[in-house]
Amino acid sequence: MEQLFNLYFDFGFMAEHFDEVLAGFWVTIKLSLVGGLFSLIWGLILSVLRQLPGRVFAPVRWVTIGYIDALRGIPLLLVILGLSAGLATLASEGTIPREIGIPQWLGEEDPFWYGVMALTLTYGAYMAEVYRSGIEAVPRGQMEAARSLGMSHGQSMRFVIVPQAVRKVIPPLLNDFIALMKDTALISVIGLVETVQVGSDLYSTFFIPSGYTLGAFFFLIVTIPLARLVDWQIKKQEEKFERGIP
Amino acid sequence: MSETVLSIQGLKKSYGKLDVLKDINCEIGEGEVVCVIGPSGSGKSTMLRCLNMLELPDAGRIELHGNEVFGDGKTRDLDVLRREVGMVFQSFNLFPHMSAKQNVSIAQTRVRGRKRGDADSRSVELLGKVGLAEKVDEFPDRLSGGQQQRVAIARALAMDPKVMLFDEVTSALDPELVKGVLDVIKGLADTGMTLVIVTHEMNFAREVSDRVIFMDQGYIVEQGKPDDVLGNPSEARTKKFLGLVLAR
Repeated sequence: MEQLFNLYFDFGFMAEHFDEVLAGFWVTIKLSLVGGLFSLIWGLILSVLRQLPGRVFAPVRWVTIGYIDALRGIPLLLVILGLSAGLATLASEGTIPREIGIPQWLGEEDPFWYGVMALTLTYGAYMAEVYRSGIEAVPRGQMEAARSLGMSHGQSMRFVIVPQAVRKVIPPLLNDFIALMKDTALISVIGLVETVQVGSDLYSTFFIPSGYTLGAFFFLIVTIPLARLVDWQIKKQEEKFERGIP
Repeated sequence: MSETVLSIQGLKKSYGKLDVLKDINCEIGEGEVVCVIGPSGSGKSTMLRCLNMLELPDAGRIELHGNEVFGDGKTRDLDVLRREVGMVFQSFNLFPHMSAKQNVSIAQTRVRGRKRGDADSRSVELLGKVGLAEKVDEFPDRLSGGQQQRVAIARALAMDPKVMLFDEVTSALDPELVKGVLDVIKGLADTGMTLVIVTHEMNFAREVSDRVIFMDQGYIVEQGKPDDVLGNPSEARTKKFLGLVLAR
């Protein structure tokens, strides 16, 4: 038992390799923030496309719904592998420019950008659904009241519906962000040296898994406060709801 | 009758197999106060919602001041229509993230293009008129149902509509709050504004209206002076309905 404890909680080992794991975690943070930001934007675009009114936009809606369903139903790992393989192959064949197929923008390596793309494609689909549920949670009468005052659909969305929906979507979006951050670990399979990969490298060199433990600590330092923040937000909204705000 | 403001011809609306409006023909004159009564499911709210296209009719024609706003299954000048026709709802539908004043100002600035300051002073004036001078900065969750409904009336009035539509505006209110709202509507009637009011308040209808329309099963069954329709109805269905509601 003590042996097991020492294997995972070798504090001397952790102190010795602290900087390496921290550097890996820094990559995790960067990837989460960039991927999270793009997912937020892409999700918003998808949800707007999905809710375009009228018969003219029906094909746009179908394509968008098809995309969202597909990406929510495919393992992220598959998206990561498929995307990086496809882009790299096309770039090396010269079908697409090298700067796009093997991106190395802003001093980051190509696995980082493949990771951003894969996270955005998948989490954009998740977040689109969050936005939609937030907009649908605003009572129908709000849109009717806005339209009856002569506001256009766009104005009604902008001044009446979206400001109310935003409050409702903050907790589920934060939840998605926590999930996204944990899923960045998957990008290690295409060679990105982030928290988990650093732990893995340390293990294969020293056969001590304490690098993993240190990585886990780093994750928890960020994810636990975020989860508490979500709980607090939800509680605040429930209290408001009890006071009668729709 | 004075000049016609709203003209409705052969209006039809159905939801799937349910025909809600079967053939509605009606003219509403300038300055006229019309109350629409009838049992629930008679189509009176649907008719009102068709008048500013919150429901799209299946057939018929609607004209506002002689301009066709709906015909051949299509709407025309929808924005013009909605700017000229104000609507107040049963469930108030105030914007919960805005103060009373902001609720009244938002469409003035965004739709009418008024300056913020002008819109706000108009809002304060209107809120004063509906008896809420001290509540201009309150948010809807701090107002009673009756107060919220009066803000909603002020919000619609701020657009200077030619016609105001009231859809069972006191049905969701506690009994003691009904009078305050009805008094505001009565005040509007006295100013000569054109009003179409769907209501269950028979005494109010008798007192305020120039004409009462009784609807049942998607038709206008009977219409006329309030004392005639409510006091001495000629149709059996009107008698039956009034017998049920007045017996309370």
